[in-house]
Amino acid sequence: MATPETGLDAEFRRRVIDTMTTVLARLLDRPEPVTEDMRLMEELGLSSTFALELLLELEDQLLILIDVELMDQDQMKTVGDLATFVAGNSRPS
Amino acid sequence: MTALEAVSVYLPPVRIPIESLAGPLGLTEMQVKLFRRFHGLREVGRDPDASLYGLLMKAAAGLDALRGQEHRVRYVLYARAMPVVAPYPVNPLHEVCRALSLEHALAFTVTHQSCASGLLAIDMAGRLLAADGPGDPAGPLALILAGEKAFTHDAQVFADTTVFGEGASACLVSAFGARDRLLAYASNVRGDFDSATGENDARLQREYRPLLAEVMLQALDEAGLTLDDIRVILPHNVNMVTWQRMCLLLKFPRDRVLLDNIPTSGHVFCADLFANYQTACERGLLQPGDRYLAAAVGAGGGATFAAMVFEH
Repeated sequence: MATPETGLDAEFRRRVIDTMTTVLARLLDRPEPVTEDMRLMEELGLSSTFALELLLELEDQLLILIDVELMDQDQMKTVGDLATFVAGNSRPS
Repeated sequence: MTALEAVSVYLPPVRIPIESLAGPLGLTEMQVKLFRRFHGLREVGRDPDASLYGLLMKAAAGLDALRGQEHRVRYVLYARAMPVVAPYPVNPLHEVCRALSLEHALAFTVTHQSCASGLLAIDMAGRLLAADGPGDPAGPLALILAGEKAFTHDAQVFADTTVFGEGASACLVSAFGARDRLLAYASNVRGDFDSATGENDARLQREYRPLLAEVMLQALDEAGLTLDDIRVILPHNVNMVTWQRMCLLLKFPRDRVLLDNIPTSGHVFCADLFANYQTACERGLLQPGDRYLAAAVGAGGGATFAAMVFEH
């Protein structure tokens, strides 16, 4: 269902979050859970390269193509920010 | 004013798909996917039959403006990303000078700014020529060579960022020419990004685009221009996603950054600028009077961010 505020499909965004947190924990070899409010750089130490790997995994697992060229990395502070971007800027592969 | 009198580029016809490099370079499946999907690197040129000397000569062979003007060439600068490319006493630069009847010229290599050395070489050539005497349409010239063989692992791939392709360029520079005049040059040499230990890599990734944007805007400012005055940006061919994000940062239209050569040639060391210039001319993207911006980052053993503004 799309939320009226953002036009985003909330259910899809939830799936993005779930997949993202699982992949992030594995990529970063982190035993503690990753949550939506965590800051990508400061808390998780996510580099640009890891971020692209994360997006590739999301594409593979969710069968989508993400419009990476539209991504302003400086606006992606938290896991939730990135999930919102992916949910709003992707299409079925 | 420093000017590009003529440019010739050689890109090998043999193209190697990125996937074929995975085994020899030890790339994981994920790294190959990342190169292809986001970095837009599909294949690179290789010329297995050409030595480094051969590559440079193939570029010089296309420089028609050099024929009959050899006596005017006072300097030959070889702009190079890698500090060492041949075992002593082999010296491809001097071999090229002999073959082109340029033994009289002062020949030397410009390096240690990695892939930004090409821009430095243009600036140096112009300043050396200008220091030699007053303007003269038939005055002295400098020849700038660029391009390398992808001999070693480090010369073939830069971790998760780019894949290098073989190729070469030859460019005649004058101090007082009328075409493709250099309006401004800005560079920021950052030794603190030394890559020897890897501890600066994450910081370089974070600061890469802001620092490149800064130096581009500085060059524009020195030229008395803004991005609105720029017809096209000629980038270094590091990868697609870096430049797509640069466009977001600069608020510059993506279709005015010449990214055509990235998927098919990869990052051709210091020859990117010249290859992209040639493509821009072939596509009719530059009209007389158009201003364009060239930009490059040389990373490895420090980082250099550099930009030049030209008028076509």
